[in-house]
Amino acid sequence: MAATTPAGTPTGSPAGSPAGLKARTADASAHARRRRMWGTVAFHGSAGLISLLWLVPIAVVLVTATRSFDDIAAHGLGSMPHSFTLGGFRQAWTDGGQQQALINSLVVTIPTVLLSLLLASMAAFALSRYDVPLRRALLLLMLSGNLLPPQILLIPVSKLSEKLGIYDSLYALIGVQIGFGVGFYVFVLHGFMRAIPPEIQQAAVIDGAGPWQIYTRIILPLARPALAALTALSFTWIFNDLLWAITVLRTGSKMPITASLLGLQGQYVSQWNVIAAGSVIAAAPTVIVFLRFQRHFVAGLNLGAVK
Amino acid sequence: MNTSPTSRRRFLAGAGALGAVGAASLMSGCVASGSGGGSTAQSKGGTVSLQSNLSSPQAKKAMEDLVAAFDKRGGAKASLNTVASETFRTQLPTYLTSANPPDLLTWYPGSVANAYSDKNLLLDVDDIWTKPELSGYSDALKKLCTDDKGRKVFVPASYYWWGVFYKKSNFAKWDVQEPKTWDEFLALCRKLKTKGVAPIGLGAGADTAWVASAWFDYFDIRINGAQYHRDLLAGKHSFTDPQVHKVFDTWSEALPYFDPNGTALSFQDATTALLNNRTGMMLIGTFFADAAPKDQLGDLDFFRFPVIDPAMPLVEEGPTDGYFASAHTHHQAEVKELMRYLATAEAQEIYLKGSSGTSIPTNPTAKDSGTPLVKKGRAMIESAADVTQFFNRDSSDALQPTADTALTKFLAKPKEITSILSNWQRDAQKIWSQ
Repeated sequence: MAATTPAGTPTGSPAGSPAGLKARTADASAHARRRRMWGTVAFHGSAGLISLLWLVPIAVVLVTATRSFDDIAAHGLGSMPHSFTLGGFRQAWTDGGQQQALINSLVVTIPTVLLSLLLASMAAFALSRYDVPLRRALLLLMLSGNLLPPQILLIPVSKLSEKLGIYDSLYALIGVQIGFGVGFYVFVLHGFMRAIPPEIQQAAVIDGAGPWQIYTRIILPLARPALAALTALSFTWIFNDLLWAITVLRTGSKMPITASLLGLQGQYVSQWNVIAAGSVIAAAPTVIVFLRFQRHFVAGLNLGAVK
Repeated sequence: MNTSPTSRRRFLAGAGALGAVGAASLMSGCVASGSGGGSTAQSKGGTVSLQSNLSSPQAKKAMEDLVAAFDKRGGAKASLNTVASETFRTQLPTYLTSANPPDLLTWYPGSVANAYSDKNLLLDVDDIWTKPELSGYSDALKKLCTDDKGRKVFVPASYYWWGVFYKKSNFAKWDVQEPKTWDEFLALCRKLKTKGVAPIGLGAGADTAWVASAWFDYFDIRINGAQYHRDLLAGKHSFTDPQVHKVFDTWSEALPYFDPNGTALSFQDATTALLNNRTGMMLIGTFFADAAPKDQLGDLDFFRFPVIDPAMPLVEEGPTDGYFASAHTHHQAEVKELMRYLATAEAQEIYLKGSSGTSIPTNPTAKDSGTPLVKKGRAMIESAADVTQFFNRDSSDALQPTADTALTKFLAKPKEITSILSNWQRDAQKIWSQ
C-alpha cells in the first residue's frame, strides 16, 4: 500500500514545474524534493516488500493450520485453501499431547529464568562491584564456556544426569538450562553493572548499607532494564530449546513443547495441518513474552556495547 | 461425539502412567545403585515400559488403546512412552545401552535387530516362541526374528507391502490393464506418456530420498534374487559387480518415463501428484495411504512389481514391524508376558482398528481391516517365495545414505553409472568395515 500511493505523484509534478527566469532555484529545489520523494518511495517500497517476504511463511503456517488434512492431501500443501477447520488445533492439543507439553515447558522455563537470573545477578554484582580475587579469570572462564558448542557436551550431560539419578526428570532439564545459561547472563549483567557510577554505592555505604542491602535496594533496581531484556531473551531460548530436552528426558509425557512438536510428525506421513497448528500453539508463549518485554528487548540489544 | 469419555480414559491412563513411571524409575534407581550397575537381569514386579516410535497422533492413540487393553486384562501392567520417530531413531542405541533402559521397544527384525543382538543388548525370548500365541507364526517370520546365533530376539506385530499403486478410474479412462511382465510395463509407460501424464511418480525428493531404494531393491530381487540382494547389502558382493550393472541397465530402460520432478517432490507430494492425475503410477509402501484423502482410498489399486526374469522366484518387499526387549530389563517375566500379548490376534486387531488400517497383522489368525486393497496385499505377500524387508532394514541405517546418494545421482546422470557405482562401493566399504 505504501508503495502505490506516492508512486502516482511524481508523474504529475514535472508537468507543473514553471519555465520562467527565476525558475532555476525553484527547479533545483523541486529537483531535490523529487529525489527525496523517490528515495522515500523506494525505501517504503522495498521495506514493505521485505516485510511481506518475512510475513509470508507465517501466513502460510496460519493458513495451513486452518485447513483440513484431506484438503491438503487432495490439493497439495501449496494450493489455495479449500476448507476451514480448527480441528488441527484440537488434534494437536489433545491427541498430540501439546497441552501437557506446554505445561511441562512452562514448568521448566519459568523457574529456570528466575533462578538463573537471580544467580547471575548475584555473581555479576560481586564480580563488578567488589575486588574479588581472580575475577577476570572467572569472567573469562564463563565466557569460554559459552564458546563451546553444546553438541560435544551431549553425551557427558546425559551420562552425568544418569549417574546423579535425575535422568528423565524435569529437574535435570532445569539444572542443565541454568548451568548453560548463567555464564552468558553474568557476562551481560557484569558489563551493565560496571557502568553504574561508584558514587551511588559509596553513598549507600556511608548511609550504613551492607552488601546485601546494596545488592537488593540499589543495584537490582538500577539493573532492571538489563534484567528485563535478559528475561525476554532467556525465556525465548529456554522455551525454544529442543536439544537438551531430548538429551536428558525420555518419557513422552515429560517432554516440552518443542519435542512434542517433533512428535507430531509421523513415521512416514506428516499431517501438515496438525503440525502447523502445533507450531502456532508452541510459538504463542514466546510471542506473548516478547510483546510484553519488547521495549526492554530492543533497548537491551546494545547492553554493554557502550561502557 | 465421543470426545469426553475418550479424554477421561486417556487422562486416567496418562495419570496412571505418570505415577507408574515415577515409581519404576525410583525403584530401578535403587537397584542400579545397589548392584553397582551390574547387568544382572532379574525379574521384579512392576510396570513394563514400552518405548514407541509411533508418534503420529493416530498411531499414538492406537498404541494407547492397545496398552490400555493389556492393563485391563490383569497380570502385569505396562506404560506407554511415545517418542518422536526421528528422536527414537537417533536415540535407540542410547536407550539400549543405558543403565535403566526401557523394557520393550518398537523396531525392526532382521539385520537391524541382529546388529544389536550381536552386542548382547537384546533379551533372548526363545521360550515365548514355543507358547501358543507365537507357535502358529509362519516359518518365514520365525527365521526373520532369529539372530545369527540362533536366538529369537523379536516379536513381530504387523507388516506392510510395496506395490505399484495407481488410480482405478485413471486406468479405466486410459483403457490400460495392469502389466505382468517388464515388457508389458514398458508398453504401459509408453502409452501413458502419449496421454500427457508422467507415467511413473517417484517422490524421492526432500527428506524421502530413501523411497528410490525401493526401485533398486525390486530390480535387484527380480534380476538377481533375494539371496544375492541380502549378500550384497551385507558386503559379501560389490556394488561394482556386473549383476548390479544389470540392475541399472534395466532401470535405464524405464528412466525416460519417470516424473522429471521425481527427485524434487517428497513422497507425500508425489502422492498428491498421483491423486491429481499428474502421474500415472507410483512404486510405494502402503503407508502412503495415510497421505491420501479418505474419499479417494477406494479408487486406489496396485499391481505387483513386474516380472523381469521369469526364472527368478517371486520375492516381495514386506517390511515387518514389531518389538524387541532390552537385555538389561529389570522386569523379565513381565516383559515376556507383554510380548506374548502383543503377538495375539486380539492385540493386533486392536492396533489395526485404531491405526489407519493399511498394515497386515503377523498373527495368521488375526483379521486384517478387510478392504479389497489389504486382502490383495496379504494374498501377494503370503504367496511370495521369500520376503525382503527394505534396503535399510536388510542392511543398516548407516548404509541407507550411501544408497540415497548413489540413486539420486543415477536418476540425474544415468550415463555416469560406472563411477557412481564405484563411489557407492567405496562409501559402503567404510560402513561395512566399521
